[in-house]
Amino acid sequence: MNSTVTIRELKRDKCNFVLRGVNLGFANSFRRTMMADIPTVAIDLVEFESNTTVLPDEFIAHRLGMIPLVSTNCDESMKYTRECDCVEGCSLCMIELRIDFRCDRPGTTMNITSNHLEIRPMPDNWGPGNTGEELAKRTPEFGIPVSKSKDFSGFPILIASLRKGQELKVRCYAKKGIAKDHAKWSPCTAVGFEYDPYNKLRHTSYWFETDKAAEWPLSPNAAEEDAPLDDEPFDYDAEPDRFYYNVETDGSLTAKEVVLKALADMRSRAATIVFNIDNPPTSDAMDISEAPMAQMPLPTRAANGSYASPSTGWGTSPNGSGSGTGGQGTGWASPNVTAAGGWAV
Amino acid sequence: MALANLPDRQSLYVLQDGERGLEIIEDSRIPSAATFRVFKQDHTLANLLRSQLLLDESVIFAGYKVPHPLEPYFLLKVQTNGTVAPSRALKNACIAVIATVTNLEKRFEEQFRDKEFDLGGAEVQQQPFYSDAYADF
Repeated sequence: MNSTVTIRELKRDKCNFVLRGVNLGFANSFRRTMMADIPTVAIDLVEFESNTTVLPDEFIAHRLGMIPLVSTNCDESMKYTRECDCVEGCSLCMIELRIDFRCDRPGTTMNITSNHLEIRPMPDNWGPGNTGEELAKRTPEFGIPVSKSKDFSGFPILIASLRKGQELKVRCYAKKGIAKDHAKWSPCTAVGFEYDPYNKLRHTSYWFETDKAAEWPLSPNAAEEDAPLDDEPFDYDAEPDRFYYNVETDGSLTAKEVVLKALADMRSRAATIVFNIDNPPTSDAMDISEAPMAQMPLPTRAANGSYASPSTGWGTSPNGSGSGTGGQGTGWASPNVTAAGGWAV
Repeated sequence: MALANLPDRQSLYVLQDGERGLEIIEDSRIPSAATFRVFKQDHTLANLLRSQLLLDESVIFAGYKVPHPLEPYFLLKVQTNGTVAPSRALKNACIAVIATVTNLEKRFEEQFRDKEFDLGGAEVQQQPFYSDAYADF
């Protein structure tokens, strides 16, 4: 409860802070959440109408995917395509961006950059379950490349260089996602994390050639803590309690938003566990649509009284090897292992 | 459409239809012990809960494992000294985490307000994105 925080530096895309009074598990969980669990928007589907550049389609599609798009308040202002009721993409779950560019200038090359991505309105054909409230929560710049945002003062990202006569015409569809799916959805370019700069806890050991102190300069964070005495005995009960973070984002979200969304995400995870403990599965019909994080339909109750979940692990085998017994002795079902234990081709 | 042998990556973190997030397996041989099987979660939540449970005086043992990196669940084993049930201890740990998060949110909000005040409120909104990375573009 006595956890405190000190922000040492704050910029739009950078937040450097010290966290105190939490344990290492919490601190690391916070770091992991900021890196991998905050939703943003990124191009996920690219349709090529014409590509006569020197770069192959997949190369360009990959480059387009990595371009950061403004994702302010993304977790509330956009739906995941998998959760949307629409049939094939609507304004709630997708953003269409287009590039239509041809080099006609003789004697020189022209560059296609992230600034050539033009946003196009998606159809409003939401399915029956959608109210469209997400749209009201969007900022005017939502979905445009960060390099086109009015606050951005750097250079745009180069996509391809074209000589005379070459053309690139593509339709890109950006979707909401998280970095566990693909790193392009991570709002963070880097999350610096350090504790115990003097290594008093001996969580690490330094390799050195001749002089440890000369070969391992102290980190700037060491100024925040007292240096250990030369003859200080090792404290076996000491726990790390000060954590130095440096969160840098790619501009899709501000560093402030990343920090706050990460905390909210951790809370909803813990709340889901509490909900599941308080609402054990029963065979009675029960309204659990109020679940804090996701809707969890009821599992079936097995004959022996244990609560079996219909799908654990990967579920059914995609290549039809049937029983899904997996390799004998390994104890887990692998989709591509045949019942005989050999590898299916 | 997808590569035949590639599992859908969303299946690593999204509960399937009919899948429940938590399964409690009571231990029949050790008193006041239980194993929690938490689906579609990884070290992020597991280590958080484990370290929080260990701060509880009534908890004798708390440990977790992710049995296989391709199977998106973890097992959390908890044994208490009998004064509280393991599921109650886990619930308390979650509540403690929520309290810490709520407190930190408040602290962060205060600090953000102070920092933005120092920089002159409106300026923060106008402050351009850091662009040193492009300095020699």
